[in-house]
Amino acid sequence: MRNRRFAWWLVWLYPPAFRREVGLSFVDALDDQMRAAHAAGASRLRTAVSAIRDTLKNAPAEWAGELRHRSARPHLDAQEKKTMLDMFRQDVRYALRAWRRRPAFALVAVMTLALGIAATTAMFSIVNAVLLRAIPYRDADRLVMLWGRTQANPQTLVSYREYDAIRRDARALDATGLWLAQSVNLTGGTQPERVIGAFVTGSFFDVLGLTAERGRLFRENESEPGSAQPVVVITHAFWQRRFGGDPSAIGATLTLNGTPLTVVGILAPPFDPSTVPAGGWFLNCDALIPVGHFPGRNDLSGNGPALIGVARLRPGVSLAAANSDLDVASKALQKAFPTTESGKSVNAESVQDTIVGTSRQTLMLLLACVGAVLLIACVNVSNLLLARAVDRQREVALRAALGASRFMMARQLLVEAGLLTVVSSALGLLAGRWSLQAITWLRPPNVPIPDHIAMDGSVLVFAVAVSAAVALVCGVLPAMGTSRFDLAAILQAGFRRSTGTGGRTREILVVVELALSVALLATSGLLARSLMAVQRAPIGFEPSHVLTLQLRLPPARYGSKGDIARFFQRAIDRIRSAPGVESAAFVRAVPFSGNGGSTAFTVEGRPMPPGSEPQASYHLVTPDYFRTLRIPMLRGRDFSDRDDLHAPLVAVVNDTFARTTWPGADPIGKRIKTADLPDWITIVGVAGDAKHLGPTDLPRPQLYVSHYQNPQIFSSLVVRTAAAPMSVANDVRQAIWSVDKDQPLWAVQPLDAIVEATEGQWRFMAVLVGVFALVALALAGVGIYGVMAYSVAQRTHEIGIRLALGASTSRVLGGVIARGLRLTAVAVAIGSAAAVTIARLARSVFFGVAPHDPSTLVAAAALLAGIAMIACYVPARRAASVDPTVALAEE
Amino acid sequence: MTLRPIEFNILLALAAEERHGYAIMQEVARFSEGALSLEAGTLYRALHRMLKSGWVAESARRPAADVDDERRRYYRLTPLGRRVAAAEAERLARLVSAARAHRLLSRA
Repeated sequence: MRNRRFAWWLVWLYPPAFRREVGLSFVDALDDQMRAAHAAGASRLRTAVSAIRDTLKNAPAEWAGELRHRSARPHLDAQEKKTMLDMFRQDVRYALRAWRRRPAFALVAVMTLALGIAATTAMFSIVNAVLLRAIPYRDADRLVMLWGRTQANPQTLVSYREYDAIRRDARALDATGLWLAQSVNLTGGTQPERVIGAFVTGSFFDVLGLTAERGRLFRENESEPGSAQPVVVITHAFWQRRFGGDPSAIGATLTLNGTPLTVVGILAPPFDPSTVPAGGWFLNCDALIPVGHFPGRNDLSGNGPALIGVARLRPGVSLAAANSDLDVASKALQKAFPTTESGKSVNAESVQDTIVGTSRQTLMLLLACVGAVLLIACVNVSNLLLARAVDRQREVALRAALGASRFMMARQLLVEAGLLTVVSSALGLLAGRWSLQAITWLRPPNVPIPDHIAMDGSVLVFAVAVSAAVALVCGVLPAMGTSRFDLAAILQAGFRRSTGTGGRTREILVVVELALSVALLATSGLLARSLMAVQRAPIGFEPSHVLTLQLRLPPARYGSKGDIARFFQRAIDRIRSAPGVESAAFVRAVPFSGNGGSTAFTVEGRPMPPGSEPQASYHLVTPDYFRTLRIPMLRGRDFSDRDDLHAPLVAVVNDTFARTTWPGADPIGKRIKTADLPDWITIVGVAGDAKHLGPTDLPRPQLYVSHYQNPQIFSSLVVRTAAAPMSVANDVRQAIWSVDKDQPLWAVQPLDAIVEATEGQWRFMAVLVGVFALVALALAGVGIYGVMAYSVAQRTHEIGIRLALGASTSRVLGGVIARGLRLTAVAVAIGSAAAVTIARLARSVFFGVAPHDPSTLVAAAALLAGIAMIACYVPARRAASVDPTVALAEE
Repeated sequence: MTLRPIEFNILLALAAEERHGYAIMQEVARFSEGALSLEAGTLYRALHRMLKSGWVAESARRPAADVDDERRRYYRLTPLGRRVAAAEAERLARLVSAARAHRLLSRA
């Protein structure tokens, strides 16, 4: 039998006409020959190899002859095509008739597949938009970000001095620019307004290949510090919003950060910003301002970090080559400025990595989950088709006996599966558009999903590929199941169905879908645990009843540190006296807002070579900050109003800072130094650890310095209120405007809203994968129910005999359930292993839970086992309640 | 018209009696004294050609019931096939006598 099947496979390689005329006989002869060779002592492998060699020699030759022949007879060719088309039509008619007879089957199959295709297409659209179309700029694969690196800080900004050196020395880079987006105050209108400015070098436009829609862009010599010209380029969107698209905008004056700048051009939008993640990243701004106007801590002439480098690699140059070039530039700089530049370097990273970053793992995990759901859907439909194919075995056998070839039967199944796929793909694409909408509503804040996601060409190609795969899985599996039957046995068996046919295939399919469900359930469980861990993780401060807002003082009007400190002090006084306000403080960066900074520091008595100093996250706060956010003071004191520009510098450190820097010693009275302050700073207090970047922050040293002693123009306000935070928003605004009526304020929102937003990604993942897992569970439940119910129905006769012979009903019941549980057990083992592997691969997506977390795995297994039990119990009951007389009389 | 050696071999194998595919292969191997071992693919390609040319046909008759294997297809020579074989045999015979006349072949 094995020989014959093997021979059939070989004969398949010959042209149809050949197969039709001598195929059967050929199979016999091959079979005879292999048998004889085997009997003569040749190994099975050797006979097989020589048969394959024979086929490889002769089949192509026969095809060549056949094709030569065919091209010589065009009229016959057309005739053959017609019959092919006729056969196809016949198959389609046959499938449609079958659906009409069993509409429930067709409906379930189509809906299942449509659901799977919809979810997969939607998810792929997002992956496509975020990962594949992330950077819609010219030569995006050659775009790199340039980051500074010190021994203590692997990713910091690039100084203007480094930029100069890179432009001079790094030959691997085609063009290099600097960029940094920052809020800018726009004044001179009816009320102060905050716009998003991007401080850029003239070369930045060359890096991204940008052009002006009207007017011109500024050049490198117009952007240099010291000689920056009073010019500005605005974006198309800002032009529309601010000037209503009026061409006279060119030449108009915008007072930005107190400096009047002339609009010289309008940037041509290289893409629709709403269709790309993060609005296209670099151009998500209103105005592009020469970098020489940058209001940084230092005036760009020094060595301090300032902006982000963007560069385009020369064609054909690798990232590694660019990095070694950058090393050379850094080394030259270190030699020229040994005191300030040692230990510092600049390295390039592909823009894709910077922007997409960690969301890649998130999206890939989601795509894998949705793919698993689709696979389960396919398996279910495949099972349905297989069950029907076995049901139709007698009919098929009859047709075979009447001359239908095995190929015809397989073709019939494939055509039916193809038809199912076409219908469900159409529905699935429609539903995919809607679910895409649903997913974008749920989108997490830190995954840069664009506002509008296009189902573009690659999505369609993907959908078509998925559909073809679905059709193959749904059609080929049952076809394989039915091509192995013994005609005579089936025809002789009468109405009693032959047992076992396709049963093994069906069981394997069910194990596959159960295993996928366990994996999905476990993954979703791990994500739910992560969400809970995130929500439960102590953040170190109390976010409820706190109002926050941001502001940036215009450097033109707040030129000295004294001016800024005076503004802070007067504003705080006014805000404190506003009704409903319990306490208020300025802080440079509100926790979880995405703002923040760090600094290197040296401890008195422990000199360090430059570049290798320890780092701490750096916070500038006014007195009462700790009280306002309910961060506990563990030792010493808070800042006071007397810690001002004239008083000795003081600092508060967090617990981790104190314990890591002075283990076992009292930090109060110890002194440290930072780069941006001239004198030693005395530690006066220790505060509790408070997370700053997000709930998954690891404890790290935090250094708080008085905002009055180190006043900076960008700051935020935190206000603790008795009632709902937003209820005092207006009074707080008025209080600030009573100090400076031209000061724009933005990001006015409660702190707990900011904190909740950071949980968004976790909630998004948990909800989405949870939904997938439930769908998978339902499909798998239906799947195992179908298999068990079917096998019981098939074995009615046999069960009848066993009952008649005295088997107890509980024994029959137990037998069916035991079989179901065996399948489930195998699936649980495979699925759990898969879940652990997935969780290991996508570590960053989970938090506070181990990939092999036993309780989650056990819960997932138990849930699935429960569903499987229920799905098995119903058919088992039916088996146990078989009436032997009826079952036997059926014959 | 020239006949390919393989075709002549098949015609010869079928000259005595009807045979199925594997039997043809065995017969060819037998009268070439093992020198020619026919591969199944080669045999059937030739057979397919010869069926289309009308030299051989599938046999409607069956051998005696005790040696019959019902699934097998047997092939027989058509009258045309027999004439083709005879013509080829005559051509070869003429070549053989020519060879003898030139003492290329001993009379043994």
